Amino acid sequence: MIWQDFKYAIRLLSKKPGFTALTTLVMATGIGLSVYMFSFFHTILFKDLNFQDGASLVMVSGSINGKEDAYRINALDYAEIKSSVKGLKEYGGYNNANVVVSATEGAIRFPAIMAQANIFQLTRTKPILGREFRAEDEKAGSEKVVVIGYELWQNQFSGENDVLKQNMRINGEKHNVVGVMPQGYLFPRNAQIWLPLQIDPKQLVRENSTTLHGLAHLEDGVTMAEVNRELSVVMKRIENQHPQTNTGISAHVTSIPGVGGADGAPVIYTMHTVALLILLLASINVGNLLLSRALERGKETAIRVALGAPRSRLISQMLWESTIICTLGGMIGFLVMAWGLEITEPIVATFFADPLAFWWDFGIDTYTVTLFLTILISTIFVTGFLPAWRSTGGDFNAVLRDGTRGAQGKKAGRLNRFLVISEIFISMTVLISSAVMVQSAYEQTNSDMGADTENSLVASVLLPAANYDTDAKKAHFAKTLQSRLENSASIEAVMLATSLPGHYSSISKVIIEGKEYSKDSNNSYPSANDIATMPGSLAKLGVELRQGRYFNNSDDGLAKATALVSESFAKRHFPEQGALGKRFRLAKTAQDNIEWVTIVGIVEHTIQGNRDGDAASMPAIYRPLTQAPRNQLTIAMQLSSKGSLAVQHLRKTLQGIDSELASYRIETYQASNDRITAPVVFISSLTAIFAIAGVVLAASGIYGVMANMISQRTQEIGIKRALGADEQRISREFVFAGVKLLLWGGIPGILAGGFMGFAMAQMFGTSYSSLVLIVIIMVSIVVATVLVATYLPTKNALRLEPSQALHYE
Amino acid sequence: MSDTLIKLENIQKVFFTDEVETHALADITLTINKGEYVSISGPSGCGKSTLLSLLGLLDASTEGLYQLAEHDVSNISKKERARIRNMEIGFIFQSFNLISDLDVEENVELPLTYRKDLSKDQRKAMVKEALEKVNMSHRSKHFPSQLSGGQQQRIAVARAIVGKPSIILADEPTGNLDSKNAEAVMELLDLLHAEGATICMVTHDPRSAQRASRNIDILDGQVISDNSLTKENKSSDTVAA
Ligand SMILES: Nc1ncnc2c1ncn2[C@@H]1O[C@H](COP(=O)(O)OP(=O)(O)O)[C@@H](O)[C@H]1O
Ligand SMILES: [Mg+2]
Repeated sequence: MIWQDFKYAIRLLSKKPGFTALTTLVMATGIGLSVYMFSFFHTILFKDLNFQDGASLVMVSGSINGKEDAYRINALDYAEIKSSVKGLKEYGGYNNANVVVSATEGAIRFPAIMAQANIFQLTRTKPILGREFRAEDEKAGSEKVVVIGYELWQNQFSGENDVLKQNMRINGEKHNVVGVMPQGYLFPRNAQIWLPLQIDPKQLVRENSTTLHGLAHLEDGVTMAEVNRELSVVMKRIENQHPQTNTGISAHVTSIPGVGGADGAPVIYTMHTVALLILLLASINVGNLLLSRALERGKETAIRVALGAPRSRLISQMLWESTIICTLGGMIGFLVMAWGLEITEPIVATFFADPLAFWWDFGIDTYTVTLFLTILISTIFVTGFLPAWRSTGGDFNAVLRDGTRGAQGKKAGRLNRFLVISEIFISMTVLISSAVMVQSAYEQTNSDMGADTENSLVASVLLPAANYDTDAKKAHFAKTLQSRLENSASIEAVMLATSLPGHYSSISKVIIEGKEYSKDSNNSYPSANDIATMPGSLAKLGVELRQGRYFNNSDDGLAKATALVSESFAKRHFPEQGALGKRFRLAKTAQDNIEWVTIVGIVEHTIQGNRDGDAASMPAIYRPLTQAPRNQLTIAMQLSSKGSLAVQHLRKTLQGIDSELASYRIETYQASNDRITAPVVFISSLTAIFAIAGVVLAASGIYGVMANMISQRTQEIGIKRALGADEQRISREFVFAGVKLLLWGGIPGILAGGFMGFAMAQMFGTSYSSLVLIVIIMVSIVVATVLVATYLPTKNALRLEPSQALHYE
Repeated sequence: MSDTLIKLENIQKVFFTDEVETHALADITLTINKGEYVSISGPSGCGKSTLLSLLGLLDASTEGLYQLAEHDVSNISKKERARIRNMEIGFIFQSFNLISDLDVEENVELPLTYRKDLSKDQRKAMVKEALEKVNMSHRSKHFPSQLSGGQQQRIAVARAIVGKPSIILADEPTGNLDSKNAEAVMELLDLLHAEGATICMVTHDPRSAQRASRNIDILDGQVISDNSLTKENKSSDTVAA
């Protein structure tokens, strides 16, 4: 019996190959795209870490003024949390660091983890060789030890077993290798080097404390929400005791993949919603197509009922149709989606200079398969069961008696109108909001960072703290490097800075002389990008001078502390009186060592890091590297015609100055900037694909429904023509009906899309004129779609002679 | 001025469908005068409805000449055909063909809304008159689904006559009705005829055919007999083929 129904369904589907192909494709798109989107975010944010007790492992991070991000937490606060919060156990913590390892082939820079001793126990993982950290490793002055990852062991020590007898030079200091972790172990993200984190809380001062990322396990049966409540109580108490340092500071726990996720939550919710909408659109469209086909077969169904077919048989037969369509489409969608996930990893890898987090393993996993099956079954239900129920529930007697669709036709008409209205609404909303996203990505990739990036290479250098322990040594290094590189024929100009225009910069709180700040909290001081550059570099980078002067040799000594500020800084803090000659200081400098810095020049605004929102408009202060030397430098080299040798020359020069120096992230200036906008470009491309798919689905759905609606009214058209309505009159009536649906769906659509677009435009800093333009263009697209979807079927129906239309079934 | 309302000469109608040619009307020559009440009979599939469609300008003939009120309408524009259907022709169908979304009044008013020369008040008055004539004024706000078949057909008659057409074309108007309702509709047609309307009706039912003043029999797309039953009937040049 079931077999019979199956065969019958196959026969029906193969009789209409166009219909079958269309519906299969629609389901493939809907299922493929939504599963991809869910799987993508699950991998990034929600994946369970594959450790024993991985589900209870959490990260303790700071919150600032209610914003929850991966902020590090003050070690003193963390100590209080440890002693008061009952919902957590096995407290640990770590910091990220860059280290230079002296290897046989020269110095190599590695990202490293400075971890408290229990880091490996937290993940219930034992080294395959040697030992974990011990409590005494955390004591200052103890023997220097390192635990290395499997991959590093293989590459640097050829996987030899006597590695434990060897040592590594890290940041210029000998470290004993005491352990090797198993293959693939990269906790907490992508680590291959673990060093003990040494903090002595007794020596800490609140104003200038070490910060760290906290790690812990949830106590049995305790939820993150409960811990968060405990945390906010403790942090409130600390805030009351230490308003100066802790106003607005709190703490929260997240899963390790989920850390910082709250920051991107709006985007993530939007993407998930869009994915669900697409799935819904696909299902509704296919369901509606199946329903109208079932209604077309109404007479046949009625005959079957008359012959005694139970309703369950009729439903079973229709269910087979949708099962076949959804399964076929689902399989196609699944394959394409699996391919999409495969190519996601190399794409996402380009967003980061360092390896991806270890759980970012995009592909088919249990979650994806489970989700796929759930979605598949729901789509079969939505596309099959509901229409089957509807189409077999009518008054068959009436159908047999006079062949009219009667009340059923009327109900279907209401449903159809509702479908068109919702599809208009969805397409407007999706089109407008995704267009804003795409526009913003376009603006961000083309935004003016304030510097000339053409034909330049960049590279970073890390000075080991042990060897470069004084400002004089650091300054000397910078000068030497600059002059040696400038001597190369392959390099036209050399620019040195802690952060180049476009790149992320550290941000400092500044205190402007003569301004009143709230005494209660350090939080009230304004922030600025804090950059140190070599005299001459800004001019060569093309960061234009607006007022005063650039740095010169007179800024060399420490006699008078000088600074340049960005135009945005001057406008924000000295709107009337002008910034030249005014003084500021960094809030973090100790009270007994106040150094006032004089502004000697104003340069154009540069963007440091994210191209959108507050980050893009953050003002900057520049100090001469000679006055404020740092350990981490970025070099930009403008290449001459013989530029191909520049990289080699850079390596040799560094080796010549100090064999323990490592350059890293050598790439074109453009590439380094592209990486910063790459995630935005990726997400907006993804959004664009979704939007296009959504709109094609909606448009085909609108067309399908309108065509159906109009073809269902062919007889009515015949009647009206018999009564003397001419073609224009009929077309006009249908176009009016289309316009009415447009207004019903379109006005809320414009409002919702405009609202979302406005919110995003504000977040991304997209101009309102482009928002208005986007709304106009997208609305026109939807209007044109609806008009075409109305006009073509009407034209089609009018091709029939009135006498034929009258007898149309 | 002649009394001739309709003149068909050598009308043929061929349907082309999937390689099959159906000669629905072989060679029809026919005249209908003003005030005539014509019935057309014949077995199923002989071409009665096709003939009525041609008369009503719902379709065009493949060959032949069609004059309506001394105007050649064989080759006129679609727009003009629509105008003539609207002004000169009233249709009554077997399956009523009322529009279910419109109430009784709106259904009857529908053909009037396609005219540009009538004010709203004029239309209302005409609708009222037509509904009174078919005795359905009391149902003017009902929807078709709330009416019996006989009532629906009376509404359809009202819709056919509301614009005062030159001819009423009815295709088996009683085919979907029980005998009592059929009788009522036939009486209505008699009444209209008595008031001077020209009627052309396709029917299966010999009793209905008897009410007409002239009977035409069709077989295989040809007129096989055409006799006038009443003496008053104006002379006809129609010849049985
Ligand atoms: N639109 C059409 N397409 C093809 N054949 C048609 C069409 N309309 C009528 N016919 C054929 O023409 C012939 C006459 O039909 P019709 O005029 O409806 O007969 P009846 O006398 O029963 O009203 C029949 O054989 C019918 O199948
Ligand atoms: Mg017929």
